[in-house]
Amino acid sequence: MPSRVLKRGVRPGRLLAYTFVVSGAVIMLLPFVTSLFNSLKSYADFIAIPQTLLPDPPVWSNYTEVWGRAPFATYAINSFVIAGLATIGAVISSAMVGHAMARMRLPLRNALLTAALATLMLPTVVTIIPTFIMFREFGWLDTFLPLIVPFWLATPFGIFLMRQAFLAIPKDFMEAATLDGAGLWTVFARIHLPLVKPSLATLAVFTFMTSWGAVLEPTVYLTSPEKLTLPIGVMGLRGQFVGNDQLVTAGALMSLVPILVVFIVAQRYFVRGAAASGLKG
Amino acid sequence: MTGSGKLVEKLWAGLFASPYLAHLVLLTAWPVLALSYLSFTDYDTVSSPNWIGLDNYTRLLKDEHFWNSLLNTGLFALLYVPLQTVLALVLAVGLNQRLRFMPLLRGAYFVPVVSSWVVIAYVADAVFNPRTGSANTVLGWFGADPQTWLKSPALVIPTLALVAVWKGVGYMMVLFLAGLQSIPKELYEAAEVDGAGPVRRFWRITVPAVSGTTFLVLVLSTISVLQAFEQVYVMTGGGPGDASEVTVLYMYRQGFEFFQMGYAAAVAWVLFGITLVLTLFQLWLQRKWVHYA
Repeated sequence: MPSRVLKRGVRPGRLLAYTFVVSGAVIMLLPFVTSLFNSLKSYADFIAIPQTLLPDPPVWSNYTEVWGRAPFATYAINSFVIAGLATIGAVISSAMVGHAMARMRLPLRNALLTAALATLMLPTVVTIIPTFIMFREFGWLDTFLPLIVPFWLATPFGIFLMRQAFLAIPKDFMEAATLDGAGLWTVFARIHLPLVKPSLATLAVFTFMTSWGAVLEPTVYLTSPEKLTLPIGVMGLRGQFVGNDQLVTAGALMSLVPILVVFIVAQRYFVRGAAASGLKG
Repeated sequence: MTGSGKLVEKLWAGLFASPYLAHLVLLTAWPVLALSYLSFTDYDTVSSPNWIGLDNYTRLLKDEHFWNSLLNTGLFALLYVPLQTVLALVLAVGLNQRLRFMPLLRGAYFVPVVSSWVVIAYVADAVFNPRTGSANTVLGWFGADPQTWLKSPALVIPTLALVAVWKGVGYMMVLFLAGLQSIPKELYEAAEVDGAGPVRRFWRITVPAVSGTTFLVLVLSTISVLQAFEQVYVMTGGGPGDASEVTVLYMYRQGFEFFQMGYAAAVAWVLFGITLVLTLFQLWLQRKWVHYA
């Protein structure tokens, strides 16, 4: 049996792979664990030389202190509102555009596809200056709009992902429904959309992650302290708690919790999304 | 379908595509045109822009800080792109085995991916803090001298590159995993019957079979490292001195701190040009080494 031959030959390789992959995973997580310990240290423990790994005793009040001294709840709500609305917008608009590209008689379809590819190469940092000026003309500075509206105009990643998903649906579905008298909107909303739910979920978690962690756009567009997002708020902690990095670390780890929850709940969609970005248009 | 039916469908399709048409006009075409125009002016964001011709570009040529930022970006890319690509491939081969706890293991590699740069900055400080970080402890085990890492002009870019690889490798690894899973098992079985060992199988089968993915990873990571802003902004602010000031950070400073939007626009254009040339070069080069099945 060929499979048995294969197994015998592969065993030492498997052991090697196992060791390699597990130690890699430990390296990935260890800094987070160390930070967690750091965030529970007292100031004396934190600055002590030589360093102890474990906080003794753990100072849980570091967390309540940071929470109490910075408007974390406000930052968190802002981040949720922005990331939530951005996600809804990206999913709806990308699904519509992806559908038009995959399953409708869209004029200039290939040109649009090429344009989407080109936009991927044009990074936000390059276009931020004119975009900033444009949003200033709109009177949108220091509002959430510049952080939300672009996502409602479909993202290139979303378009590629959704186009790929709609292309995988057999054409017969649409034809059968059209014969039954369903309009184009019904075909999209009632028949095709439910079939691409996994891709919609993938796009949703990726958009949420992007928006949640963004630093550049909130830095450029938001100025009022009560409008800041979590990452910007956490960056501000450094100035507020100079030298008390155990407190700042506590704040940073708190800002990680929501996205970690999203990640654990939707793990397979993260992996799928990363793999999907490797798809060629 | 009747002629008017087709027209109706085209209109519907246009309506469906309209968000992206708006995107192309407002977030792509207009910014590119405006950027081109601004790069020939001395716009300070308050008074209206003055046409100054090529002045911004000639100033760039003589601007030491700009050249320094390009050198920093180049060094960052040279360290990050190969290390990221090789590690991602090797890890993907490891994770492609049927191991126990696989979802958990893959999950571990994704935790840095989902963390924002602000979180990564503090987490990385637990490792690279010169006084309290674990990296110096580890160096101590081998009898090596402690380093100042992000505070050292010589080590700041390599340290940033290491952290960037640590954050990004899980993402690129998944790209390779998708590629690996499409290789037919028979290829390996046949090679094994012919007596090819694991190393030979890796070089003769795996590497050529995933060359398409390798190309993609190279392009994606080159583009991302040339755009590196958030990491540097959050972790070093370009310091110590200007030892880690990458081009995007320099552009950001010129535009949003010194309000020299015209000059910043010229920097943005040069950077976009470099990205474009490098991507096209990679596209041209891929014909020589990428095997498409």
